[in-house]
Amino acid sequence: MNAPNGPVVELKEITKIYSQGEIDVHALNGLDLTIRRGEFVALCGPSGSGKTTALNLIGALDKPTSGEVWLEGERLSTLSRQQLSHLRRDRIGFVFQAFNLIPVLTAYENAESVLALQGCPATERRDRVMSLLTEVGLKGMEDRRPHELSGGQQQRVAIVRAIASEPAVVLADEPTANVDSETADKLIEIMAQLNQDRGITFIFSTHDTRVMERARRLIRLVDGRISSDSSTAAT
Amino acid sequence: MNVVKIAWRNVWRNKRRSGVTIAAMTLALLVEVLYSGLVVGYMDGMERDLLDLEIGDVQIHANDYLERPSIYSAIESPNALITQIEAQGFMAAPRQLAGALAAGEESSAGVALRGIVVELEAKVSSIGTAVAEGEWLDPNDPQGVVLGRRLARTLAVKPGDELVLLTQAYDGSMAHDLFSVRGILKGIADGTDRSAVLMTEGSFRQLMEFPEAAHQIIVRRPEGSDLDATAAVLRGIAPELDVKTWKELMPLVASMFESTRGMIVVIFLVVYLAIAILVLNAMLMAVFERVREFGILKAIGFGPFRVFGLIVIEAGIQTAVALVVGLLLALPGMWYLSRYGIDVGTLGGLSVMGLAMPPVWNGIYTLDTIAVPIFLLILIVLIAVLYPALKAALIEPVKAMHHQ
Ligand SMILES: Nc1ncnc2c1ncn2[C@@H]1O[C@H](COP(=O)(O)OP(=O)(O)O)[C@@H](O)[C@H]1O
Ligand SMILES: [Mg+2]
Repeated sequence: MNAPNGPVVELKEITKIYSQGEIDVHALNGLDLTIRRGEFVALCGPSGSGKTTALNLIGALDKPTSGEVWLEGERLSTLSRQQLSHLRRDRIGFVFQAFNLIPVLTAYENAESVLALQGCPATERRDRVMSLLTEVGLKGMEDRRPHELSGGQQQRVAIVRAIASEPAVVLADEPTANVDSETADKLIEIMAQLNQDRGITFIFSTHDTRVMERARRLIRLVDGRISSDSSTAAT
Repeated sequence: MNVVKIAWRNVWRNKRRSGVTIAAMTLALLVEVLYSGLVVGYMDGMERDLLDLEIGDVQIHANDYLERPSIYSAIESPNALITQIEAQGFMAAPRQLAGALAAGEESSAGVALRGIVVELEAKVSSIGTAVAEGEWLDPNDPQGVVLGRRLARTLAVKPGDELVLLTQAYDGSMAHDLFSVRGILKGIADGTDRSAVLMTEGSFRQLMEFPEAAHQIIVRRPEGSDLDATAAVLRGIAPELDVKTWKELMPLVASMFESTRGMIVVIFLVVYLAIAILVLNAMLMAVFERVREFGILKAIGFGPFRVFGLIVIEAGIQTAVALVVGLLLALPGMWYLSRYGIDVGTLGGLSVMGLAMPPVWNGIYTLDTIAVPIFLLILIVLIAVLYPALKAALIEPVKAMHHQ
């Protein structure tokens, strides 16, 4: 399972049905997907096609109605609540669309929070987080609270938080949806760089075509199914 | 991650809400600390007065005296018994009791005569210091008597006035003599106030033609010794006599003292119930407006226990601040109430369950009186925060993210 190009994430015949009152919403309809270590994957598709649902299932934030999610060879359906929260802490990095950060913590404190939860010693934490903050261009802003940062800066803090602990996979749900296109470019650039330099696996959803172009694998979802899955050699 | 740090900052995030919560807890604590010390002080004062001025810790009578009080049911040679009692480390004094008719200038009343040995009485009772007008008994003034407060009013006498006492002597003959009112007691307890005529032992024996005997022996125990153990020792010394603790003599009063102390806790709970509702509401609001945040925390690896702990600590911080501020604010109050007390003025001397209410209520502030309100506040907050904390701990991350 630690093979250089082994599968990190495997979705097997996933369906997800949300029951809303009388109506059942079929968010995912038999999704099969394997993502290997070091991939830089974009999920795209129209709104409501199941992108967020898929990311939530991979991130162990939610459970599929049927089918199995495997993360680094571990079947998520067999884990307890507590084990799932440890799995999220240790193996998954999250970047959400907005309001990613804990408002009462500074940029630095937010960025280090996952490492701190893991019990990483303070000096090592400081080294790793400060160098990452510098890498994403936030040097000098580490003591600011989220409300003192722009949307793009907040997303960068969230990216640092997500990768600082070197998780198996970083899941980013429309990370650029709430920032202007220039900032979006910059964020995707940062993620691509981290993917290249550190080999971190990224799966992000987007419906921004400029962002899709940067992906090395583009998976299109329609009605909770994969309608296309293409890899490019482009950077 | 440092949960306490996050909790601390969260508390000050909504300053107004936290401020109101803390202020309410502070006020409740302040009131309860001062109040409980005052009630304890008041009850202790009543109890001490009752024992000091009236009944002592333990009383010894001849076997049938309490059922059928009679001048003839007396303890023979009380002095030998007192010597034995004192040898056990207790204090004891004899009293002689009889009924009589007292006549002042204008009116008369049935009275209860009480002959006492002035020096011995001083060891078991502070009644000698409870004289409101005139002076206490003096062995050198055999005709001087001291009267209960209401009796003096009934007879319309004041110190210096004359009083005729009429009674049946030990030998069955009519006895009467002229006495002078030497002093009038302050309010002590109903019986004493209404009918007591205190005189020296010598005068009593002379008036009543009474032999060397006593109807009652008052015993006091050293501070800290056990009441029932004291009674047990005395029963050993005088197996043929009737030995009763004050609680056995006045069971109603004793249980009133107990239940009033218990009432303090009930009143605490009522006040604290309001605090509990406030805390519950404030913490529920704090949880509901941060649902998304809990979703993020859960997503990045906060377990349910940590989230639960976060909310409990947030409430705990507010409680701790309230405890510190409340106790600091209570300090001057405690100092004042224990030193000067509350002067209830004309209410003082009013009778409560037959006992005179002390005119000044002094608070007693010990670790015991302070610890109960503190402990109860902490307990109540813990109970109140349980639901909001559980709510936060069980938030599903996905649902939380959908929130708003
Ligand atoms: N919590 C939910 N309850 C009910 N329906 C939901 C829920 N989450 C998503 N859905 C529905 O599932 C479908 C897929 O949603 P989603 O995964 O959010 O799509 P996307 O992220 O691609 O826009 C949509 O029809 C959406 O309305
Ligand atoms: Mg979505």
